[in-house]
Amino acid sequence: MFTRSTACRSAQRVARQQAVRPAQRRGLAAPASGSFQYQSGDAQGVKFASRDLAGPTTTLALVAKAGTRYQPLPGLTEGLQNFAFRSTERRSTLRIVRESELLGAELNSYHTRENLVLEAKFLRDDLPYFVELFGEVAASTKYLPHVYLEEVLPLIQFAHKRFLANPLDMAINSAHSLAFHRGLGVPTASASSTPYTKYLEADTIEWFSKIAYAKPNFAVVANGAEHGELSKWVNEFFGGVPASPLEELTTGTEQSKYYGGQERIAHDGANAMAIAFPGSSSFTGKFYKPELAVLGSLLGGQSSIKWSSGFSLLGNAKASPGTQVKTTSAIYSDAGLLYTTITGNAANVAKTAYSAVELIQKIASGDISAEDIQKAKAAAKFKELENGQDVKAGLVLTGSGLVHNTKAYQIDEVAKAIDGVTDAAVKSAAKSLLENKASVSAVGDLFVLPYAEDLGLKV
Amino acid sequence: MSAPSLAPFILKRPWLQKWVKPLANWYVNAAGYRQLGLRADDLIPEENDTVQLALKRLPPKDAYDRVFRLRRAFQCSVSHQLLPKNEWTKQEEDTPYLSNIIQEIEAEMKEREDLEALVVSKRAANAKSGH
Repeated sequence: MFTRSTACRSAQRVARQQAVRPAQRRGLAAPASGSFQYQSGDAQGVKFASRDLAGPTTTLALVAKAGTRYQPLPGLTEGLQNFAFRSTERRSTLRIVRESELLGAELNSYHTRENLVLEAKFLRDDLPYFVELFGEVAASTKYLPHVYLEEVLPLIQFAHKRFLANPLDMAINSAHSLAFHRGLGVPTASASSTPYTKYLEADTIEWFSKIAYAKPNFAVVANGAEHGELSKWVNEFFGGVPASPLEELTTGTEQSKYYGGQERIAHDGANAMAIAFPGSSSFTGKFYKPELAVLGSLLGGQSSIKWSSGFSLLGNAKASPGTQVKTTSAIYSDAGLLYTTITGNAANVAKTAYSAVELIQKIASGDISAEDIQKAKAAAKFKELENGQDVKAGLVLTGSGLVHNTKAYQIDEVAKAIDGVTDAAVKSAAKSLLENKASVSAVGDLFVLPYAEDLGLKV
Repeated sequence: MSAPSLAPFILKRPWLQKWVKPLANWYVNAAGYRQLGLRADDLIPEENDTVQLALKRLPPKDAYDRVFRLRRAFQCSVSHQLLPKNEWTKQEEDTPYLSNIIQEIEAEMKEREDLEALVVSKRAANAKSGH
């Protein structure tokens, strides 16, 4: 037990220290950049990168340029994703699973719009085993028809069903396809059964694998592994991977173009609206606009603080506490999409959609306090830096940076760019959103959900 | 189900093969399934999980041909007739198409059982430390 006076004294001391510290404390603009840096290298044509985080575990990822954007036929990315870690020439599916279980590892594969990612998390000592496994998966997976029918196809069908039951996913995918048509607009899950009834077959997936897992098209990224070790094992185990793709594909490689438009889908499950505008490309791309990240967090919608609606404009303006609003600035290698998603009760979704557009108009006319923009900048910068520290996002960004042969994703510079955003830049960005065509997608009760023209948007 | 067979043992020894071959030819002919247009793999009893799974894994063309052969053989059998001689299964057509799939499935099942019976021992390097 402390006496009252000692408690007071220590509190005073703490307060004094706090008062002194800010001068010495490193500001957010100059993060400890060392931890963000990946060392990269090349082993017989296979690009790899690693950063040696202290800790007993390693995360290893194989990032292939084979996301839905680059698939030549619908569903191929999903097929390839689900064929990962299946029987190879040397071991069966069961053996891979059991061996990984024995090593206490976690295997995972997923895809984004641009990348296909195989991921393994394991204890540091087991690096050689998993590099070998990745080499095997890339080079010698057996794409057998019965494995496709018995194990892969059901997973694709589940993904299809999950997609259809989720109006928010449907709205986001529909907004993407309105905005970019093909390429980035291709839905990330099968939106109908056509892909797997008409185009997908084990042979076709095998053919695609020879392209996706060719040396120029993928990179191996490790978090928490020694660079020399990784280099040695990648050198040893990636010999069987084809040196060049079976066929040079042009699908998705052309510069993304923004179209815009409106789509309305009836759905009896729930209501969702996505209001999307042309956004910023990733920092490594040519169309990087930091003010859009700030605008995104200024509109916001989700609070980062508990029991509070947060500072963001949409967080305060949403029609009811049960209405979920979120503004995302999705960045891709050569384009981006700034979108606000609203889900909840149909009437509330409609009301919130109206206020979202009103808020953008308000920002464009400069009616927003400088303080709010300051808060938005801080939030945007925090999100960016957190993203850089987060293992998963870091792996994908680094991998895709290596594969696309552009500069590495330097998180510090991104943070600096966000710092440099002025109020005027945010204002003019909002103005240009309203001048351009929007992509508006409404899923749910179409009787209540408004049209883009009603909201006051151009489509 | 693949039954225990002497065939691999005999095939490995050419001198033995030379002896047994005429006997085998006589036996296959006497068994009479070729005269009904069947192949040896059509005679594998299918009332078990392994063969059912193997039948599911057959390529569509093979599965169709198998059903055709079986139905034709039933027809011949109920009408107490043999096929015309030119439709009999020839020796070079009588190839295994199902037994290799069955063997694969059996290998899978054996591997599963082996892995179930696995005994785990700690790596020497980590034996002392906690993990």
